[in-house]
Amino acid sequence: MRYFLQRLFQFVIVFFLVTFGVLVFMRIGLNKPGDPARTMLGGTATDEQIKAVTDRFHLNSNYLTQYWYWLRGMFTLDFGYSQTNNLDVTTYLKPRVLPTLFLGIYATVGALVIAVPVAVYQAYRRDSAFDKIGSFFSFALVSIPALVLAPLLSYLFIIRLQWFPRLASKIYPWESLSGHFKNFLLPSIVLMLPLAAVYVRLLRADMVQTLQADFVTLASAKGVSPRRVLWSHALRNSLFTLLTNVGVQLGGLVGGALVVEQYFNIKGMGSLLVVGILSSDLFTVQSVSAILVATVVTVNLLVDLSYAVIDPRIRHARALS
Amino acid sequence: MSNVSQAASRDITDPLLELTDVKTHFRTARGLVRAVDGVTFNLDRGKALGIVGESGSGKTILSRSIMGLLPPKGAVRSGSIKFEGREIGNLGRKQMRHIWGKEMAMIFQDPMTSLNPLMKIGQQIAEPLKIHLGMDKTSAMATAEKLLQDVRIPEAHRRLAQYPHELSGGMRQRVMIAIALACGPTALFADEPTTALDVTVQAQILDLLNEQRKDRNMSLILVTHDLGVVAGHTDDIAVMYGGQLVEMAPTRVLFANMKMPYTEALMQSIPKIEDPSHTRLTAIGGRPPDLVHPPKGCRFAPRCPYVREKCENEMPQLQQSDLPGHFFRCWYPVGSPEYFESKERNAAKAMASAAPTEVPVSIGEAR
Repeated sequence: MRYFLQRLFQFVIVFFLVTFGVLVFMRIGLNKPGDPARTMLGGTATDEQIKAVTDRFHLNSNYLTQYWYWLRGMFTLDFGYSQTNNLDVTTYLKPRVLPTLFLGIYATVGALVIAVPVAVYQAYRRDSAFDKIGSFFSFALVSIPALVLAPLLSYLFIIRLQWFPRLASKIYPWESLSGHFKNFLLPSIVLMLPLAAVYVRLLRADMVQTLQADFVTLASAKGVSPRRVLWSHALRNSLFTLLTNVGVQLGGLVGGALVVEQYFNIKGMGSLLVVGILSSDLFTVQSVSAILVATVVTVNLLVDLSYAVIDPRIRHARALS
Repeated sequence: MSNVSQAASRDITDPLLELTDVKTHFRTARGLVRAVDGVTFNLDRGKALGIVGESGSGKTILSRSIMGLLPPKGAVRSGSIKFEGREIGNLGRKQMRHIWGKEMAMIFQDPMTSLNPLMKIGQQIAEPLKIHLGMDKTSAMATAEKLLQDVRIPEAHRRLAQYPHELSGGMRQRVMIAIALACGPTALFADEPTTALDVTVQAQILDLLNEQRKDRNMSLILVTHDLGVVAGHTDDIAVMYGGQLVEMAPTRVLFANMKMPYTEALMQSIPKIEDPSHTRLTAIGGRPPDLVHPPKGCRFAPRCPYVREKCENEMPQLQQSDLPGHFFRCWYPVGSPEYFESKERNAAKAMASAAPTEVPVSIGEAR
């Protein structure tokens, strides 16, 4: 428990540091330093408008004060104001959260569902044809960026096979499950494949090593079935690198989501972030990155806790510390 | 099943294990490695056999060959292995699985790496009980606790819920033994079971193994590099060198009457209690033979202090000595006229080369 609180504290600090950093850098990067309100509102804004915005968001105060007010607003779900849309950020951010969340979850879960059995079987039948083909494809996929994979797959599945619409429209699963998947499947796959490839490579390497361990041979020598040896004895002992990477890759996934959302015209947080950065939309960028950082930090905290669930040695060591 | 009736009709005095010309070769990039090269012996029910040899002699591969626990790729097996009268030398892992843990069990060298670190002790012992004897969880756990008591682990009940890292090395080796004994195997293979343990714990573990062997009328195959380990704990000893058996005899006969110079050399490399302290141990010069290109003649010839021309050109066969059950593989065995002649010659040589400076004490004289 003490360990958990320590980690939680660390992660909260990380969250604050990153979000504050974003706030500072967004303001430093403005083309007219010291006058963020004018930049936000553009040249045609009247003095009253500028004053109103400056006062509302305390844009004349120092960065820490601004951060404090913004943070306080966040807790009442007031994310600030976006000049590009002339709307409160909260209003138009809300519908953008779920599509990106869907993409991220589908990609991560899908990648694990594919990668784990493939890696386990590759390690079990090391140097077989299956292993070699698997290694080739995972290597190839690791090296292909989403920017290349997206047009490749859409040519195949959208233009040739016509399985999916060219531009994805936002349909929630509770509206129409088939419609939802028709629109989200291909973008998710584009994100998922390189991720699955990374997972396969990591897990295979660990599995190969675990399978040579004495306790695996002992499990066989006890008469345990190969299936149980693989899934129950060896896999659990090989999960650590993979789990760590689920957390680490999440940050990279944001970059991928950005490309995929743009390519398939999904109105998610990734595309919002791009537009926000390009148009110096302070509060949009701050809010989106806050949500992303919070997600990454939370998942990493969960990953950290999962070590203890899997490994009694970590559990005991933590209990002692 | 025909196997069962066959086994039932067998006499209790029939050997448990019969090996005939067992060979295990490995295909490697360098060529065929003759890890085990034609081993023949029988093992009776309830007896303890020590297989002794240095690293690379093929002793571990031999024990794994008998159990069928070889890496699935690259191993070429031939010869016959009969276990309770049925041929198991050609069985695959799938068929061996029903024998593993139930009729044959194995104890590994390193108790620190041989238990699953993420699984409770109780579960690890219960696993074979559930698989082979169809026990439910409750009775498997009760049996596991009984087994832990058998191998003299204090507070057996509490241990069931503990993980391997909570136990000492000696305790873990006891757990390994409990796992091996779980289903009442008729043959137990122990591959260097005490090498990774403290000297004080070694004797306890060996005594425990022997006591369980007698209680359960189980055969024990003790694989080790240490003649000292097998001395007090086995009925028979088989010495391996370069993938072959080079000497085999009842333990007492072997120690009193060894014929093979390699066995003699192994013997001399054991520290003796009556030696003054700081006595330099005798090492066997040279290295074990290359098993891709083994020597044409006797495989020990390149390192043998009594080597003659014939040794280098013709491979000696396993022959019986004048004592029952004693076999050896040597042209000029320990005690033969040629042996003494070579010995004198060696001593003279050592004397001559060292003469100008000081009076040498050759190894032969010091003994």
